[in-house]
Amino acid sequence: MEIVEVQDLCKTYGMGEAKVEALKHVSFTLQKGEFAAVIGESGSGKSTLLNCIGALDEPTGGQIMIDGRNLFAMREEERTIFRRRNIGFIFQSFHLIPELNVEQNIIFPLLLDYKKPDSRQVEEVLEVLGLQERRRHLPGQLSGGQQQRVAIGRALITKPKLILADEPTGNLDRKNSREVMELLRKASGQYQQTILMITHNPNLITSVDRVMQVADGILSDLGGNVNEKLS
Amino acid sequence: MKNYLNLIPISSKLHRRQTRMTRWCIVISVFLISAIFGMADMFLQSQKNLAVMTDGAWHVVFRELDEEQTALLAARPEVKSVTRYAATNYKLDMGYEVGGVQTVLCGFDETFFEIYPQAHLTEGAFPERDREALVTESMRERQGLSVGDEVVVAAPGDSLTFRVSGFVEDTSMMLKTDSFGVFMNTDTYLSCFRDATLTADFACYVEFVPHCRIQRAVGDICESLHIAKEQVSENARLMGTLGQSGDHYIMMLYLVAFILAALVAVSGMMMILGSMNSNVAQRTEFFGMMRCLGATAKQVRRYVRTEALFWCMKAIPPGLLFSVVTVWGLCRMLKVITPTWFSEMPGFGISLPGVFFGILIGILTVLAASRTPARKASEVSPLTAVSGNAGTVFAAKRAAHTGRLHVETALGLHHAAGSRKNLILLTSSFAFSIILFLGFGIGITFMKHAIVTLRPYTPDISVVSQDDSCSIPDSLYTALKENTDIKRIFGRSFAYDLPAQIQGEDKRVMLISYEAYQFGWAEGDLRQGEMEAVRDGEGVLLVEKPGIAAAVGSDIELETKTGRQKVRVAGILGYAPLDSGEGVGTVICSEDLFRRLTGETGYTILDIQLHDKSDAVVEGIRSAAGENYRFSDSRKNNRETRAVYFSFALFVYGFLAVVALIAVFNIINSIAMSVSARMRQYGAMRAIGISVRQLQSMVAAETLVYLAGGLAEGLVLGMPLHYYLYRWAITARWGDAWRAPVIECLVIMTVMTLAAVAAMTGPVRRIREMSVVETIGM
Ligand SMILES: Nc1ncnc2c1ncn2[C@@H]1O[C@H](COP(=O)(O)OP(=O)(O)O)[C@@H](O)[C@H]1O
Ligand SMILES: [Mg+2]
Repeated sequence: MEIVEVQDLCKTYGMGEAKVEALKHVSFTLQKGEFAAVIGESGSGKSTLLNCIGALDEPTGGQIMIDGRNLFAMREEERTIFRRRNIGFIFQSFHLIPELNVEQNIIFPLLLDYKKPDSRQVEEVLEVLGLQERRRHLPGQLSGGQQQRVAIGRALITKPKLILADEPTGNLDRKNSREVMELLRKASGQYQQTILMITHNPNLITSVDRVMQVADGILSDLGGNVNEKLS
Repeated sequence: MKNYLNLIPISSKLHRRQTRMTRWCIVISVFLISAIFGMADMFLQSQKNLAVMTDGAWHVVFRELDEEQTALLAARPEVKSVTRYAATNYKLDMGYEVGGVQTVLCGFDETFFEIYPQAHLTEGAFPERDREALVTESMRERQGLSVGDEVVVAAPGDSLTFRVSGFVEDTSMMLKTDSFGVFMNTDTYLSCFRDATLTADFACYVEFVPHCRIQRAVGDICESLHIAKEQVSENARLMGTLGQSGDHYIMMLYLVAFILAALVAVSGMMMILGSMNSNVAQRTEFFGMMRCLGATAKQVRRYVRTEALFWCMKAIPPGLLFSVVTVWGLCRMLKVITPTWFSEMPGFGISLPGVFFGILIGILTVLAASRTPARKASEVSPLTAVSGNAGTVFAAKRAAHTGRLHVETALGLHHAAGSRKNLILLTSSFAFSIILFLGFGIGITFMKHAIVTLRPYTPDISVVSQDDSCSIPDSLYTALKENTDIKRIFGRSFAYDLPAQIQGEDKRVMLISYEAYQFGWAEGDLRQGEMEAVRDGEGVLLVEKPGIAAAVGSDIELETKTGRQKVRVAGILGYAPLDSGEGVGTVICSEDLFRRLTGETGYTILDIQLHDKSDAVVEGIRSAAGENYRFSDSRKNNRETRAVYFSFALFVYGFLAVVALIAVFNIINSIAMSVSARMRQYGAMRAIGISVRQLQSMVAAETLVYLAGGLAEGLVLGMPLHYYLYRWAITARWGDAWRAPVIECLVIMTVMTLAAVAAMTGPVRRIREMSVVETIGM
């Protein structure tokens, strides 16, 4: 089943001389449970692609279908709600809410939906993330790796069909990076979640299902076994 | 770029929005501070002007001095001038008349015209020689006099003859009482009244040299010249405006006003403080980056301080400009609406105290306000720059309670109340406005008591029967009613001192007739019963007063020329503008009933209000009325009353407006600052999936906490203050019991609530329009 279907996606910034074509006619699809990585040089258009798929940014042209629904055919409010139920975000610089503790940060998307979080599920996520001891801590009292794990928990709690991660390990050391990758892979394997992750780190793509490369706004699919090719 | 401090203009360009807000905040605070002091300054000047115009420019008057004391007094260095003054027939009851008109005779020194500018010479010169005199303009007109003519003043059993040396403008009192004035020098006065007059009859009006400490000088004079304290009194209004009054009450009043003005300045300071605080807080990362790049803590501190001065330079001049223009506008209004009374006021004067305090408080506050942020900024750890959590701004100390409430509401409440310091600072600054508003609000009550106001029934001119009888015929009333320059004309008939039986007791009453207008104005004073029956002539109104009381529906027996008659009390009035004297009742009835009861057919007085208040119109009416009646001209008196009231009201309401403006700006600024400080956090929440509507609720919840907290705190602190101020300033003087300032509270609460609603629209629009990607900087 196709979770993400991108067709002919274009994005241009600015006008006239300052015009930048960040994405040029990008098309691809992602299947349910697929773990894909996007690589490419800085400034090539990776974040732009992710932001468009996540409906944080509006494309200049083309179409994005998430789980069979056209993102940009929805009204703004509807799109916001759709996003918080179906798309999980993980950012390079965590973006946790400083006034909420670990547990509250994780269940935040549920609270936004006025849903009562299932405590068993919360326990499970906390256990998977190894944050049980820290559940009452505020983000300011956590290390970078712990904060990123909270952010991952927040992305997982709604059991979204799609998780978007923009350089989730960019601010982390090697050990923490490996743990984060572990968690993401578990998510895609165990809960059949589709993951699209941007990374700079070639070591991290060894275990993904599929690698795509963006260069100058053009996306090319490197397929499943890029590792040999790259090395 | 030669120096790291050159970064300031560059950084201020980058952080344009925050910087603009802070700059505006300084502009507005400086404006308000400078405006309030400028207004206070202009207020004092206008009151001084008025005091000089109405009461004279003298400071202190000494009575019953002998010749030697007078000479010694005049010789003292701190005394600028001594003016001797005495008057005869001042109460118009001694029978000095010119052509049948009561005449006041005054003797004074030439300096009188300096200390009493309202009475100025219109022609001729001060009477130098014996038996010369100045006479009033109205006398010139009605007697057809010119300089050099002789006037004969009929005196009791005698007559006095003067040669006219010039003419003087009428005083408002003389116009109102329809009397003449004859003014001569002191020698002539003494020779006229030799038998009856001593030097001691003269009062010595003293004007001191500028910047003299008058109370001390008076003390010295009394001691060395052996003058008793009772012989001295002061021109309280003028002395009050000079801050030199010996009247404790007046001095305290000015002191309280000054303290309140200072508090306004404090709330301006708080506004700047809050703004700068959040400004620096928002740029924590920038300072972190500077520290990262190797700036020392001291350098960062210096950076923030230099930046503050940079803002001062940019923001203080416009603030001053606004305030100067505002004060100009107010002075213009004063001069345009009441022209004669404020001719001395500068049209485009710049209030030096206003400008001075504006600059001083502006710079000091900005510098003081930059101290804390400077310290905070220098303490920013270089690490801050590299961690990117949403809103590093306010390091949270406690987690929000998300249990029962919607999460957005809970977070909004937490944003407001999470940092106790922030909450207290904001609610206090809101509360401050309420407290100040309530404090200044007492000024209105004070004004209503201390200053006589014009009433709807105040006439411009009146035609009055010579002997208080009902001698003005109906025909004059009907004739004047046709005059199109007359707005309203209403007559009253009086029957004085009628024996009456009220509740079985023998009393005396004054019976007055009203017509439609007067019944209408009396409506508001009706305590019991109804007016309709009285209008129809089926009953009377009784004015409530000690010793005179009757129930509605009971009968009063009156004894008039036509015999004993019974009338029914149809209503009770709490107040009537005419007083019958102690122990004498006032009974009001319709014209028809009055005529039935007394058999009279005419009026005692006709009050006239004019469309066109010019002299020509008044002369026309005077000649239509003829010489058989007294003619009271209140126009000058009314203008004076209006000037006094207006100048006071302008500034009282001006102060209230400034305080309300402070509240408005403070709320708008605080909310905007708070939201823009959390913009990144809101951006991150948007990315996670919060809707714009939820963010709106979050901001609304936060605003509500500040508002509710501010209102509660303001009322809790403001009410006792109002109570004590009221007790001291109003109750102690006029006896009114304290009443809760409901209207003032409602006004300021409404203003603040509207301001809070308005304050949210801007930030909410920014939230709606924000680009998530750019805001969180992905
Ligand atoms: N808001 C913006 N305005 C103008 N140009 C932008 C904006 N955001 C990104 N770009 C440009 O678009 C291109 C792609 O950026 P981005 O997707 O962030 O690259 P990266 O692959 O490093 O994530 C870059 O050339 C960048 O300069
Ligand atoms: Mg990027």
